Amino acid sequence: MAELAIESQLTDLWETPKTIRGWFATVDHKELGMRYLVTAFLFLIIGGLESLLVRLQLVHSNMNLLSGEAYDQIFTLHGVTMIFWYASPILSGFAIFLIPLMIGARDMAFPRLNAFTYWTFLLSGVFLYISPFFRQAPHAGWFAYVPYTLPAYSPGLGMDFYALALIFLGISTTGAAINFIVTILRLRAPGMAISRMPLFLYSTLTISFVVVFAMPALTAACVFLELDRHWGTHFFTVPDGGSTFLWQQLFWFFGHPWVYVIFLPATGMISLIIPVFSRRPIVGYAYIAVSTILTGVVGFAVWLHHMFTVGMSDLAMSIFSAGSMTISIFTAIQVFAWLATIWKGRPVATTSMYYAVSSVILLVVGGLSGVFTGVIPVDWQVHNTYYVVAHIHYVLIGGNVFPVFAGLYFWLPKMTGRMMNEKLGKLSFWVMFIGFNVAFFPMHILGLMGMPRRIYTYAAGLGFDTWNLVVTIGAFVFGLGILISIVNLFVSLRSGVLAGRNPWNADGLEWLTDSPPKAYAFAHIPVVASRHPLWDDYENLDDPENDRVLDQGRLTPTTTWLDAVPVGIATIPEDSLAPLFMSLTMFGIFVAFAFHWMWAVLAMLILTFAIGCIWMWPNTRKEVL
Amino acid sequence: MSSLVQIPPPATKLALLPIDQGRGLGAVWAVIATEATLFVCMFGAYYYLGNNKDRWALQQPPHLVYPFVLLAVLLSSSVVLHWGERQVEKERYRAGRIALWFSVLLGLTFLVLQGFEYASEWSDLTPDSNSYGSIFYTITSLHGAHVIVGVLILMYVGCQPFYGFARRSPHMPYQVASRYWHFVDAVWVFIVALLYVIPNIQRHLHVH
Repeated sequence: MAELAIESQLTDLWETPKTIRGWFATVDHKELGMRYLVTAFLFLIIGGLESLLVRLQLVHSNMNLLSGEAYDQIFTLHGVTMIFWYASPILSGFAIFLIPLMIGARDMAFPRLNAFTYWTFLLSGVFLYISPFFRQAPHAGWFAYVPYTLPAYSPGLGMDFYALALIFLGISTTGAAINFIVTILRLRAPGMAISRMPLFLYSTLTISFVVVFAMPALTAACVFLELDRHWGTHFFTVPDGGSTFLWQQLFWFFGHPWVYVIFLPATGMISLIIPVFSRRPIVGYAYIAVSTILTGVVGFAVWLHHMFTVGMSDLAMSIFSAGSMTISIFTAIQVFAWLATIWKGRPVATTSMYYAVSSVILLVVGGLSGVFTGVIPVDWQVHNTYYVVAHIHYVLIGGNVFPVFAGLYFWLPKMTGRMMNEKLGKLSFWVMFIGFNVAFFPMHILGLMGMPRRIYTYAAGLGFDTWNLVVTIGAFVFGLGILISIVNLFVSLRSGVLAGRNPWNADGLEWLTDSPPKAYAFAHIPVVASRHPLWDDYENLDDPENDRVLDQGRLTPTTTWLDAVPVGIATIPEDSLAPLFMSLTMFGIFVAFAFHWMWAVLAMLILTFAIGCIWMWPNTRKEVL
Repeated sequence: MSSLVQIPPPATKLALLPIDQGRGLGAVWAVIATEATLFVCMFGAYYYLGNNKDRWALQQPPHLVYPFVLLAVLLSSSVVLHWGERQVEKERYRAGRIALWFSVLLGLTFLVLQGFEYASEWSDLTPDSNSYGSIFYTITSLHGAHVIVGVLILMYVGCQPFYGFARRSPHMPYQVASRYWHFVDAVWVFIVALLYVIPNIQRHLHVH
C-alpha cells in the first residue's frame, strides 16, 4: 500500500471530527494534554494574582488593604491552587501529551479515563472556586490543621469546599496515575526495554505509584473532617476521645510524598533537556533512574519532619530526621549527574537550557535550606517563620516552575508547530530569575529575624518593613517575567518560525512525529534499539512490508513490561461523551454534598452509575475482532 | 550511545499477535492497591485514636457471632465467584453467569445481616458517642459501601451478553469484577481480625 493511502486510512480512524461534539468527546491524548497544560497554567495565573494581593497587603507595616479574614482566605486559596491545581496537573499535562509519543504508542492505555480525569480536574477546580463567591473560601492554610478547621472556629462553607474539592481532585489524580502506570508498563514500543526508557518515564512512573499509595491518606483525612464537621463524629475532638494530631499524621503521610509528586517529573524533564542541549547522552542514566525511584520510596518515611514541634519521642524524631537527610543524597546524585553532563558536553545556550540550569541552582539553594530544617533544633527555631516560606518556594518554584518553563520552551514547538522567540524568552528568563531571587531570598532573612508566616500584618519598628518591600517588588518583577513568556507564546502562535520535526536535534521518539503530531502520531509503529533512537544509526523506521501499520482499527501494540517484547494488540476506544457527563454528575454530587441536599446526592450517584454502565457496555462490533 | 551494545529489537509480526487483555487487570490491581491503602489509613486511625487510652473501646468486647457469620457469607461468595470465573475460562458462560448471580445474592445477604448486627449488637453505640464509635462505624460502613458497589458491579456484569465474557474481549469484565469482589471480601477478614477478634484477646489477656 502506498504511504499516502496508509496515512489517509489512519487519519480516518484516529482524527476527531472538528465539531462541537468532537470537542467535548475527544479522547486524543494530545488534545487532552494541551488542555491540561492550559488549564493548569490558568490556575498558575489565578494563584499568582492571589499571591500579589498577599504581597500588597504585606508591603508595609499596619497595612489595611485586606482584612485579616480576607487575607487568610486569599493566602489559603493561593497555596491550595498552586500545590493541587497547578503544580501536579501541569506535569500531568506534559506527561499526557508526551508519554505516548515518547514510547511510540498511539494513545494512552485508557483514553476515556484520560478524558474523565481531565474533566474532573477542571470541575474540581471550578468547585473550589465557587466558595469565594459566597465570601467563604477556605481560610486555614493549605494543610488546614484541626481544631481550627472544626465548625466552632471555622463556621460556614469554606472548609467544606476545601475537603470536598480535595476528595474530588483525588479521584482525578488517582485515575491519571493508574493510566500512567498501565501506559508506561504495557504500551512501550517493541524494543524499548526498561533500561532504554527516557528518564521522564521513570519519574512519572514513580510518582504514579506514590499517588496510588499516598492519596488515600488525604481522602481519609478529608472524610474524617467532613464527618466531624457535619455528622457529629469525634475524630478530632479531644474531650470525646479524638486526636488533633490524627489530622496532621494523615495529612503529612500524604503531604510529603506529594512534594515529590510535584517535583520528580520536573527533574525527569530536566534529565531530558540538559543532555539535548549539552549534545551528549546523560551521565549516570542508571543512577538517576534508581535515585528517582528511591526518592519516591523514602519519601514515605519522612513525613514527621513537618511535625517536629508537636512533641514526639526523640527516637521518632531522629529516625525521621535521618530519613529527611537521606532524601538529599538521592537529589544530589541527580544534580551531580546533570552537572557532569554539562561539563562533559558542549552546552548550547538556549532559553530552555537557561531555565533548566537555573532550576538546578535554585533547587540546590532550596534543598540546602531543607537540610537545615531537617536538623531538629534548627527546625524548632525557624518553624512557622518566613524561612520555611522561602524554603518551600525555592523548592517548588526552582523544582517545578522553572523546569516547567524549560519544558514549555523545549516542547511547545512540538505541540504548536512553531518556535518560541529566543530573545523574548531569554528576557523573560532573566526577569523571572532576578525577580524570583529578589522576592524569595530575603524571606530567609525575615524568617531568621522571627517574622511568622500567615500573619496579615505586622507592627512597625520590628525591622521587617524594608525586606518586605523588597519581597513585594521582587514578586511583581517575577510576575512580569511570566507575562513576557505569555506574550512570547502568543507571538509564536501568530508568527513563530515553523519548527519542523526535530528543531533541537533531540534524541527521543516524540521528535520523530510531525509538529504538531498527526492524530495517529506514527504511521509505522517505531522499533527501538537504544536509549537514543534518533541519535543512533540503527534504522528503526524501515518497515517495507507494512507490518507495523496496524490500520484494521484503532490499534497499538502492547509489550512486556521489562524487555518490551511485543505480546498483543491493544484496541483503543473511540471518542465518547460519557467521561464528560460522568464528571458533570460527580460535580453535582459534590455540590449537593456541600449544601446538604442529600436527595440530590442520591440522585446524582444513581446517574453516575447509569452513565458508567453506558460507558463500559461491551460492543461486539468493535471489540471482538 | 556508542559504548552500549545495540541489541536489535524483537522481530515479531505485529499483525499476528492476539488482542491485548492485560490493561483492565493492571488497572484493577492499581485500584485495589489504592483502596487497600485507604483501609490501611482507616485502621491506622483506629489504632492511633485508641493509643494511650485506658479503656477506650467498650465495657464489653464486641460479640463474635455476627462477624463470623458475615465472614462465612462473604468467603463463600468469593469461592462461588472463583468457580464461576473458572467456568467462564472454559467457555461455560451459562454456569459462570449463574455463579455470579449467586455471589450477588450472598452479597445482599451480607448487607441485610450487617443491618441486623448494627441494630441488635451496637444499639448502645452511635457514631457520635465517642471516637471509638466514630471510627468503628466509619470503617464498617465504608466497607459496606464497598460491598454495595461490588454488588452493583457484579449485577452489571451479570446483565451483560455473553460476548462480554468472551475470551477475546479486551476488557475481561468478569475477571475484573471478580478481582474487586475478592478484595472487598479480604477487607472484611482484616476488619474481623482487628476490630472484633483482637479486642477480645486483649480483654482476655487483660491488656487494653
